[in-house]
Amino acid sequence: MNQQLNNAFTLFLSLLVEAMPFLLLGVLFSGLLLLFVDERKLIAKLPKNPLLGALVGSMVGFLFPVCECGNVPVARRMLMQGVPTPVAIGFLLAAPTINPIVIWATWTAFRDQPEIVVLRIVFSLAIATIIGWVFSAQKDLRPLLQPALAAAWQPKQQPQKDKKKTSSNLLQSGTFWLSGSGDPIRIDASVLQASLAASTPVKPIPERLQLLLDNTIQELRELGSVLVIGSAIAALIQVFVPREVILNLGGGEITSILTMMLLAAVVSICSTVDSFFALSFASTFTSGSLLAFLIFGPMIDLKGIGLMLSIFKPRAIIYLFALAAQLTFLFTLFVNLYVI
Amino acid sequence: MNQNSKIYNWLEVFAIAAWGSLMLKYWLTGKLNLLIHPDYFWLVISGGIGFLSVAGLKAWQLLRQRRILPVRHISLLPPGFSSTLLIVTAIAGLIFTPRVFASQTAMQRGVTDFLAATRSQPQAFHGSVKPEERSLLDWVRTLNVYPEPDAYTGQKVKVQGFAIHPPEFPPNYLLLSRFVITCCAADAYPVGLPVKLTEDRQAYPPDTWLEVEGQMITETLKDKRQLTIQANAAPKKIPEPQNPYEY
Repeated sequence: MNQQLNNAFTLFLSLLVEAMPFLLLGVLFSGLLLLFVDERKLIAKLPKNPLLGALVGSMVGFLFPVCECGNVPVARRMLMQGVPTPVAIGFLLAAPTINPIVIWATWTAFRDQPEIVVLRIVFSLAIATIIGWVFSAQKDLRPLLQPALAAAWQPKQQPQKDKKKTSSNLLQSGTFWLSGSGDPIRIDASVLQASLAASTPVKPIPERLQLLLDNTIQELRELGSVLVIGSAIAALIQVFVPREVILNLGGGEITSILTMMLLAAVVSICSTVDSFFALSFASTFTSGSLLAFLIFGPMIDLKGIGLMLSIFKPRAIIYLFALAAQLTFLFTLFVNLYVI
Repeated sequence: MNQNSKIYNWLEVFAIAAWGSLMLKYWLTGKLNLLIHPDYFWLVISGGIGFLSVAGLKAWQLLRQRRILPVRHISLLPPGFSSTLLIVTAIAGLIFTPRVFASQTAMQRGVTDFLAATRSQPQAFHGSVKPEERSLLDWVRTLNVYPEPDAYTGQKVKVQGFAIHPPEFPPNYLLLSRFVITCCAADAYPVGLPVKLTEDRQAYPPDTWLEVEGQMITETLKDKRQLTIQANAAPKKIPEPQNPYEY
């Protein structure tokens, strides 16, 4: 028992020590996006068509080489800046896979099976786009968002007359919101910062850097602590559920996929390195199930769910989870049955 | 700035500094290799420096009492709780040293399927390496490429690893094993080869690190023909290597 606790602690620390630098990278990227990118111009350039928007959002990941520890703060920032929902959801799900570092890592691991590399990219892109598109049906995202984020979230579609009043809908955010009970709710710092940054693009660099610092500190604290909880759960399951129990399930074309999806969710390994992990199962598992691991893991895993709770209510995460799981299953089953 | 937000600000600084220190401590004490693959050391080191820099800048800002935004960030967790959680885990990491995985984990992770669980494609294959210079992992990789145990009969072998006592092996056999990591301890998987001893394995309790010299033979263990090391003499007990994993 003592030994197992020690193992769990070692696993827990190894997940965290590896994930924390990526978290820092993601938070810094998200802060830079906040402070130095004119989101009004960015948003204006994003396609209005939901399907196209979701596709573009999925591909934006290429510009942000962050894994699933880093994409959540960026996606959260996107939503708060009024980026259309399909774009943000597409980014949230695809960015951990559709980025140069991950593609390079996958290629390094599966040089001998290039179809795994190609299908990982194509399927991840397709699934993220489809889910982003599905979420575009929900015009008002607020019921699905965390209360604090919902208060800050503004629908993209504004009546034309409103647009005339201000140059940017971001500028409409005041310092306080009225809640249902009529009490004022203080808006969070990042919306204020976003507004400040957006309203005065010529703000002196030292002040911008100070905002970047405050934003980095707060996100590191918040997301870091969620990461701690997620990694703890992943480590406990890895140590206290015999891996044989999981592995024994994976023999057939269907069960192997389900097993690898379960393993992906449990192991919660970073997308930048998960292909090496999958490689250790290459000789025992079907290609479709390896793909399922590589596609599903970066989208949804225990650690990521913890982080996603900082954006969505549990209900929305269940929708995301169910859609991603079903689509991954169908795509990879097709691979198992007809392709490889 | 009221007293509470002052405390929260300092808690944040300590939490981030603690994590930066933890990452650098593992590097400086050489324990980082118990947690992650050496390829990612630079990432952890720069991460640690990054965390400390962020904390240092914030501390400097707080000490100089520069303008600080009066509003709090979105809080999923109660204020102060997340900082405390980070500080507690970092302190736990600073106090308790992670330990390398041992035979119990190897058994749990299925070392008995050691060949099936290894990579199907070796990263490097040194055909010209002398058999006695191959590491345990080299042997397993070689065997993976050409799995006929008889092909290696009589070859000299000298390998290091820790002992495992599989219950289904006869009492004069043990399994010599190493963990292989590709990224971090979360993906460590065991590889191993059976060793035929000249005595009972009880002289070498599980987890003891051993250097075994001998030659390769083929044995049938668990109804399976397996490449086995026939120990020439009693294996030498060695201290746990500084870097217990193979890559």
